Amino acid sequence: MVLTAAAVTAQAQGIMGGHVTGNVQVDGQMSRADSVIGAQDVPEKLLMNARADILYTNGDFSAGLRFEMYENPLLGFDPQYKGEGLANYFVSYNGEKLSITAGNFYEQFGSGMILRTYEDRYLGLDNSLRGVNVTLRPFDGVTIKALAGKQRCYWYYGDGLVRGVDGEVSLNSVLPFLADSKFHATIGGGFVSKYEDDENIPSYINPEERLNLPLNVGAGSVRADLGYGNWSLQAEYARKGQDPSAMNGYIYRPGQGLLLNLTYSQRGFSAGIQAKRIDNMGFKSVRSQSGEMLYINYLPAITKNHTYAFLSMYPYATQVNGEQGLQADVMYKFKKGTFLGGEYGTDVHVNSSVVYGLDTTVTGFAGTDGYDVNSGVGQTLYGDVSVELAKKLSKTVKLTTTYAYQVFNPVVENEPGSLHHNNIVVADLSWKVSKKHSLRFEAEWMGSDSHYDADDPEHSDRRAGDWLMGLVEWNIGTHWFVSASDQWAYNDGVGNYYNLSVGYTHGATRLQVGYGKQREGLLCIGGVCRLVPASNGLTFSLTTSF
Amino acid sequence: MVMKKIFTGLMVFVGLMSFAGCDKIEPEEYTVYDGAMIEWETGSANLPAVQRVYVEKYTGPRCSNCPTADVTLDAIHNDNVVIVSINHPTGQGTPYPNQPDMRTVGGTVWDNYFGINAIPAAYVNRDRSTQYLGDMANIGSAINEALATVPQIAIEVEAIEVNGSVYVNTHLDYKQDIPDVLTLTVALVEDSVVYRQLLPDNSIDDNYAHNHMLRKVVTSYWGRDIEASGKKETKLVGSLNLMLPSDVELEHCHIVAFVSNKASRKVLNVASCEIQ
Repeated sequence: MVLTAAAVTAQAQGIMGGHVTGNVQVDGQMSRADSVIGAQDVPEKLLMNARADILYTNGDFSAGLRFEMYENPLLGFDPQYKGEGLANYFVSYNGEKLSITAGNFYEQFGSGMILRTYEDRYLGLDNSLRGVNVTLRPFDGVTIKALAGKQRCYWYYGDGLVRGVDGEVSLNSVLPFLADSKFHATIGGGFVSKYEDDENIPSYINPEERLNLPLNVGAGSVRADLGYGNWSLQAEYARKGQDPSAMNGYIYRPGQGLLLNLTYSQRGFSAGIQAKRIDNMGFKSVRSQSGEMLYINYLPAITKNHTYAFLSMYPYATQVNGEQGLQADVMYKFKKGTFLGGEYGTDVHVNSSVVYGLDTTVTGFAGTDGYDVNSGVGQTLYGDVSVELAKKLSKTVKLTTTYAYQVFNPVVENEPGSLHHNNIVVADLSWKVSKKHSLRFEAEWMGSDSHYDADDPEHSDRRAGDWLMGLVEWNIGTHWFVSASDQWAYNDGVGNYYNLSVGYTHGATRLQVGYGKQREGLLCIGGVCRLVPASNGLTFSLTTSF
Repeated sequence: MVMKKIFTGLMVFVGLMSFAGCDKIEPEEYTVYDGAMIEWETGSANLPAVQRVYVEKYTGPRCSNCPTADVTLDAIHNDNVVIVSINHPTGQGTPYPNQPDMRTVGGTVWDNYFGINAIPAAYVNRDRSTQYLGDMANIGSAINEALATVPQIAIEVEAIEVNGSVYVNTHLDYKQDIPDVLTLTVALVEDSVVYRQLLPDNSIDDNYAHNHMLRKVVTSYWGRDIEASGKKETKLVGSLNLMLPSDVELEHCHIVAFVSNKASRKVLNVASCEIQ
């Protein structure tokens, strides 16, 4: 708050001709024990995450910092976040041909398969690099990046030193005969190397021996982004050197990954197909680190990131040690005035994805190559198909209905069990009652063949069983909103999760207060997940920007 | 101009990354013996330029021809010919029931590296181009030839035992510039180890005295890097200590230390001493 006040003052006055912007977010939580849903008591009564981002910009120059406070961290955030301080700071010059950042920075090479540093406050994830990042644009259409630094892990920085270079060329810019072509092509490639000191990891085969660890681990990728008319193709292949780590059980097998994305789009219609295959591509700057921190790379999800509650109840978490899958996505708009389009048109969106493990033959454990990969497919990890129809029924009413079928393997969450099969139906109705008032109704149903074992609640999945959900949301004027919802495991499950919330928005400031029960589960964004434990109590959130 | 310099700098960085960015480890080296660390200090002693020869012999208790090789090598053995006998891990190297198992992890790593598939077998200074088998009839000339070379590096070793710990100092003196990375390997060997041995006439001697038996590779299997510039007249002392295994007789033990080329693994020089 002090920072905010100082920043606002600075903005009002201006600093050497520059200007200051920023945002502040404070999230709080109070929770009490609830044995039915598995919520634990919170000894400190009030948990709070807070952050303030301040950015100063003056022409090509900018500088920023972020203050964070976790006293104590919200449920589901790692306790190692406990504390407060300057988590992030940088100075940057952004010229036409040259950009240099010193301090904390976020960067991505291609799709991120060999390097992506990013921050997601909802996942409690920040793997920013602290070091130097240089981007050079020597010619039109040519970009070269070079960076070096160490990665943030909670309040400390990992010992691994990350170094990387990346180049990208737009052929349409550098080849005159392609300048006006309908064919568009951008090619690129990158290389990232991690250095880490040696350490004593015992061999599990012979206790007298230890692993001979590679101190420098490299990963490289080549990529192409091609387009012709309505068609577009993105492809990237990555390869990683020997990288024995806690993630892969300290095996020496090199990693590789392939991403393909073919799309076609025209007015009212688009279709795309994605393919992905990764094999031992987890890449961290500290080899002994498990969990979600200190990833140098990011392996994009190939499944749809659903937003409705039951559709996202069993999210798919990317399996960095190996997976292969396909995703197809088709959108079509039935025009107004047609039989299916009706008076306002109808949008149809069909999406399907399937992910399998690799078909492997284990050849050894730590201190070996680990396994051989066969030509087939491994076990089913995830599959879904969803059909969404969105139709405006009148000038003020819009209905969106969704049917989805999911197959989920608990092994993606490192849990035992057989495949779960879920059928889900969602109806979402928006009604603009008047200029200042609107209502939204949402009803969901999920039928699942998973079962909750009441005799063993510690080891039972509280998502199991058949569920019903209802939600009403009322937007009152331009400032207030109120919502009420309930999720009820009416068969083979446990729990009744009601929630009430009220919010107030004024300009760039929003305050929301809620009371209710939160179901234990995984929050996944882009295939990266955080376990959210059950809670029962009050939550509040304040965000503002200036 | 500034842009050109930055561009050049980036290209140099890319080049360096390509060369230095990734270590590759061969499968046989995925695991290493976590041997004793060596503390290096600058030395002062001018060592005599003595060239010794390292003979690595692979043997086994069920190998009827091995005693013949022992006779040949024992006849050649002297202060300048250092022999280390390694018990082959399988087949004829398998110990008899209720007899001492002289197989060692380090010896097995070396055995696998050289691809030993018949014993007795031996190498002179770990020169893989010539493997000596059977009665080792031709090994004498190879040893003499090696002894006649001018030493690139001189080595001496001394060892003292205090309460079960053996303190080993290895002195090195570069007699020539050696640009290659060198390693120092230290091993514990034992003479007069008595256990059952198959003889050439297929009879069994329960009281056969085995000499030069490798009991433990003290450093990592392929040695520790010698931290030196490689310039002529460089003098170093490498110190380490080891706990004496409980199944050895101190008075029969020797410390063997040898310098080898890290890349080729050929031995440049060797020294041996009793434990005081």
